[in-house]
Amino acid sequence: MNCLEFERILPEVLEGGHTTERQAHLNSCPACSNLLADLKDISLQAKTLADSAEPSPMVWNALEAQLRSEGLIRRPAAAAPARSPWFRRSKTVWLVPVVAALAIVVGIKLYHPAGAGEKQQAVKHIVVAPGQTVRPVSSDDQQFLNTMATRRPARQARYRADMDDANAFIHDAEQALKSNPGDVYAQQMLINAYEQKQMLYDLAVDRSSLQ
Amino acid sequence: MIAVSWAPKAVTVLALTGLAFGAGEIRKELHFKVGKRPMVSINNPYGPVVVRAGAPHQVVVSAILHSDKVELDQSSTRNRVDVISHLLAGSDQNTGLVEYEVQVPPEADLTVHSENGRIHIENLQGDIATEGSDSSVEVLDCANGHVHVKTLNGPVNLSNVRNGHIEIVSMGGDVLLSGVDGPWVSVNSNTGRIQYAGNFGDEGEYDFTSHTGDIEAVAPAFASIDVVARSNQGRVENDFSLEPKHTPFYVKGGNAFAGTLNKAASSVKLFSFSGRIHLKKRQN
Repeated sequence: MNCLEFERILPEVLEGGHTTERQAHLNSCPACSNLLADLKDISLQAKTLADSAEPSPMVWNALEAQLRSEGLIRRPAAAAPARSPWFRRSKTVWLVPVVAALAIVVGIKLYHPAGAGEKQQAVKHIVVAPGQTVRPVSSDDQQFLNTMATRRPARQARYRADMDDANAFIHDAEQALKSNPGDVYAQQMLINAYEQKQMLYDLAVDRSSLQ
Repeated sequence: MIAVSWAPKAVTVLALTGLAFGAGEIRKELHFKVGKRPMVSINNPYGPVVVRAGAPHQVVVSAILHSDKVELDQSSTRNRVDVISHLLAGSDQNTGLVEYEVQVPPEADLTVHSENGRIHIENLQGDIATEGSDSSVEVLDCANGHVHVKTLNGPVNLSNVRNGHIEIVSMGGDVLLSGVDGPWVSVNSNTGRIQYAGNFGDEGEYDFTSHTGDIEAVAPAFASIDVVARSNQGRVENDFSLEPKHTPFYVKGGNAFAGTLNKAASSVKLFSFSGRIHLKKRQN
């Protein structure tokens, strides 16, 4: 087994799926054993975070209910259908967008740059040219944009445009998935859309910390 | 005679010009001894980073700092080198600018962060990760490593990257892959255009997806591929005569196609929401 093959079955290993072959690779490869140790540590920390910080279990439940009502997820069947090779990397890969969205929310709530996010802070709004359409954004996105307005005012319009693009992609992918919940390619598009949004948040927050 | 009288004036003018243009510029050169397969990280908010393969066991960082509003922070252990352009109070895109030229051992693992400068990497064999908002990314003549690129709006150009594990995420930047192959090649774009020109070799998995950006892949007639392509709202074109195959979705003429070519060694997935997709046959 090489590193690439190990990465592909990493989610199974994380869930306790050890075999002699996997253990042999772990014993011989410091990079993969370190990666596994890091992921276990993150998983442990994430559980602590879930116990101590937002979102509460109610949020998870509400989110789950919402996703079920929209037909985006279903209760696991007794015998799960065979997945596309595209999803061999993880049995639970479809959860990535959900987890990514929550990670973004939690990340923004935990990220408190100096002076940002205070209730009394003046909220700056984007200057929009006459005739230009303003897409609505979620409260979390607005909080992010407000933070960027104070930290990176010169790039605020750019971040807003990128966020609109990411949200449009998410919206279209969700609609496609609603039309055909079993479409594995539409699921992958949704994952990709969330990956883009997560990257936007990561890069923006990371950059703003350099200022 | 005339030449003699002009010479001192010319030298004076050149010297003054040099002083004027060089004012505020600080040149630094850092040398690090490293072990086998070192990890090198360059974090430069403003300005270009050019990385080339150099001598083994040595990392050389040449930097031009454009003002005293920025300084270099460095840290190194036996096999790890971190260099950061540390922006001081009052710095901006101009005064915080640093130009890097870096030489690393060919097998080095590399991480480069630049917001708006050009990132250019060539002749490396290790893993490469780049991140940036608007920086253009060029990776040339590299092999056998992971190449991970994250960019918001900078163009990405990978050329002659062999046996790579490649993942590119881009919002608006165009992505151009030329002579790129490996077991895993993935591009996730939003509005940016994806262009691929190569053989789809290495029995790899090639996944190109976009939201509104066009996808164009050019392959030779001897390419060995199992291809699925779909654009929900865009036009899809295919120049090859593919053997039909089953797909898990309904193939409507004009917006999707699927099939195999030759021994179908590599998997190719081209998906867009509203971008145009074109699988082109290379004209030899």
